[in-house]
Amino acid sequence: MIEFLEGNDAVVRGALDAGCRFFAGYPITPATSILTGMMRAMPEVGGLAVQCEDEIASIGMCIGAAMTGQKALTATSGPGMSLYSENIGLAIMGETPLVIVNVQRQGPATGSATKGADGDILFMRWGTSGGLPLIVLSPESVGECYTLTRKAFDLAERFRVPVILASQKEVGLTRERVDLDAARDACAPSRPRAVAPADQPYVPHAFDKPDDVAPLSPIGGPHLVRYTTSMHDERAWLTGDPAVIARMMEHLRRKIDDHADEIARFEWAPDEGATTLLLAYGVTARSARDAVARVRAAGGRVSLLVLKTLFPVPEGAIRAALAGVSRVVVPEMNLGQYAREVRLLADGREVRSVTRMDTELVSPEDVIREGGLL
Amino acid sequence: MTPLSKSDAGAGPGPLSYLDEASLPLPFCPGCGHAKVTRAIDEALVILGRPRERVVVVTDIGCVGLTDRHFDTNAFHGLHGRSITYASGIKLADPGLTVLVVMGDGGAGIGGAHLLAAARRNIGICVVVANNFNYGMTGGQHSCTTPPGGVTATCHLGNLEAPLDLMGTLRPSKPGFLARTSVFADDVPALIARGLATDGFSVVDIWDLCVAYYAGQNTLTRNTIGDLMTDLDMPAGVHFEGARPEFARAWRDLYHPAETADDEGMCLLPLDAGLAPVAESALKKRTGILIAGAAGQKIRSLATILGAGAIMSGLHATQKDDYPITVLTGHSAAEVLISPEPIVYTGIEIPDVVLILSEEGRARVARKLAVLPPESRVYVEAGLGPVETPARVIPLGLKGAAQSVGRLAIGAVGVGTILAAEGIYPLEAFEAAARRLQKQKVADTNIAGLRAGAALAR
Repeated sequence: MIEFLEGNDAVVRGALDAGCRFFAGYPITPATSILTGMMRAMPEVGGLAVQCEDEIASIGMCIGAAMTGQKALTATSGPGMSLYSENIGLAIMGETPLVIVNVQRQGPATGSATKGADGDILFMRWGTSGGLPLIVLSPESVGECYTLTRKAFDLAERFRVPVILASQKEVGLTRERVDLDAARDACAPSRPRAVAPADQPYVPHAFDKPDDVAPLSPIGGPHLVRYTTSMHDERAWLTGDPAVIARMMEHLRRKIDDHADEIARFEWAPDEGATTLLLAYGVTARSARDAVARVRAAGGRVSLLVLKTLFPVPEGAIRAALAGVSRVVVPEMNLGQYAREVRLLADGREVRSVTRMDTELVSPEDVIREGGLL
Repeated sequence: MTPLSKSDAGAGPGPLSYLDEASLPLPFCPGCGHAKVTRAIDEALVILGRPRERVVVVTDIGCVGLTDRHFDTNAFHGLHGRSITYASGIKLADPGLTVLVVMGDGGAGIGGAHLLAAARRNIGICVVVANNFNYGMTGGQHSCTTPPGGVTATCHLGNLEAPLDLMGTLRPSKPGFLARTSVFADDVPALIARGLATDGFSVVDIWDLCVAYYAGQNTLTRNTIGDLMTDLDMPAGVHFEGARPEFARAWRDLYHPAETADDEGMCLLPLDAGLAPVAESALKKRTGILIAGAAGQKIRSLATILGAGAIMSGLHATQKDDYPITVLTGHSAAEVLISPEPIVYTGIEIPDVVLILSEEGRARVARKLAVLPPESRVYVEAGLGPVETPARVIPLGLKGAAQSVGRLAIGAVGVGTILAAEGIYPLEAFEAAARRLQKQKVADTNIAGLRAGAALAR
């Protein structure tokens, strides 16, 4: 069925279809319509949505609900991400499946509240203490707001980790023609919560290999469940033993980083003989696609890599795309954040950052001109 | 979502103790009141008799936050001051659980907003505050409940801040149960049990001694703690009992239809009818339309119908809105991009068509008007006077044409003019979109306006 929807509408639909039945949030432009959409939608599916006193309570309630077995969602923008920061660390520490939508707006601080940017890209990855990994996905269209929200829930369950959908105003509040039925048909069935067997002792953070992910047992279910923000062992008992702590740190890191290829989603459009790679994500990927079409129409050559997974960095895809090119152009609606990640993999190739943070889209002309593509 | 289960209603005889004997002794300093608080909680749980699996002890940071690991129940140890938020999420998701929060005066201070919100909601959790007037875990700094003149590591000449009266602060919210006592009183287990049994939000404020830091420096003892209550006019006793509906149940009662099945499957929402094509368009190229009007002219919904009509003509469309934070004043503008091809880049660098409906709208797009190429068309309400732009300006009596339809119809008149004059897509597609997406009365007005505008263009 063809509809004319905003990205935020598609997030709501995607979350419901993923089995999300708990939402807590606080109003903030440009994410508010996810909150209001959830308030309307949740009663219809027997779920629950609540507006909280602040963003700290929003993510806190989601973590509590998630540990009772619910798939939980919260949504905010940059200032709210700042308030989520500490609890994102808690969700990592407690291995809580959770999906967070960050409909970014131009910042810092209050910034231009009704205008877009991708200014939180590194903040989403590095914005909590401890530096342990989580997953960040970036949609470029209304359709991808649906499919990547579905994917975000699947990854959150698969890895018991917070997954952030890096949307922004130019995607979340842009209405476009979309067929969500077709998008739904193209999605794999949503991953159910892996639940620990009721007739066996429950070890909340059990692993044999460091990258194993234990099933959960819901608070209120057959087992007594322990959960803690403090450094703990596999049974969630506090520990100060450096050897145990090292093991747990390795577990929290490797359950994500060892599976970077599994988590990586991207589109690769190579151009034979091209010496320049255009690497883009989010709404700017649309400008990059347009720029590539214009360059090729003009007889030029350029390869295109569009990332849907930003973190863990899809190193395999980026390295493969780098083979054979001498330089990379990275357009972004910030001052050059993801270009830093690309430089780490570029092996001395020129990495040209095309940036814009004046609330306007990076245009295809910007990409071509400042990227030196023609 | 967990339904309310029958097994939650009646409680048989429960365990003789909810403490994990293997975890004892408790880790508190000799003489610290937190051990008594922990024992009192255990006694209260025994009085209540819930199955261990249906009890959750939620704590946060501070010495008393060490209690949860000594309970043989579900245990959740979270961030400083945020225990009420986790407990609320747990209770909302599974209202049949007995959810107990144990926090200190530090947690009550940093999490004050959560205390207030939980009391206003009347969410069914019981908060025990082990209130010992300072931050013991970090070395005895002053807290939100340190008495005036109290000496701590951060007010060594005496505290200048007034102490927070938890009972007095929360009472106006009319939660389920509020009580204050001291750790030396006999009623502590009974009061906690009453809090736990309350079908609503409850707080038991237990005044307590920090023997490591606060008590010694301030000569606070078992014998003087009652005098402190008198001096501060914060007496012991039950301070409030309310009967407002508990939030987690009340929310379900109000919002959930009687027969809601949670099938965890596909979306059950009644979806809009789709925008399948009803007409064909001869549009050959991507066309950017900028509508610039004023608040109240229904620009955003009109732009949505304009885009939906394009889709119902087999075209592609995007829409972006531009309006100030205060939505009932100032400009309201929308960009609608219509194309026979899928739209990749959603920006409109140079609008092909501009529709100006008000002075506010004109001012908003003045910068863009100034740089339009001569081939762009600017349709403007004639009453607004001359427009400074290199583009072709087409003044029209939009306001006059709208008068016969309704005050709010000027936008629809303008869109009718554009669709007819530019031949973007047939009027019938716009009409079908309005009928599909808008309430009948609104659709009627927009369609009448559209037709008046089309007549104007001819």
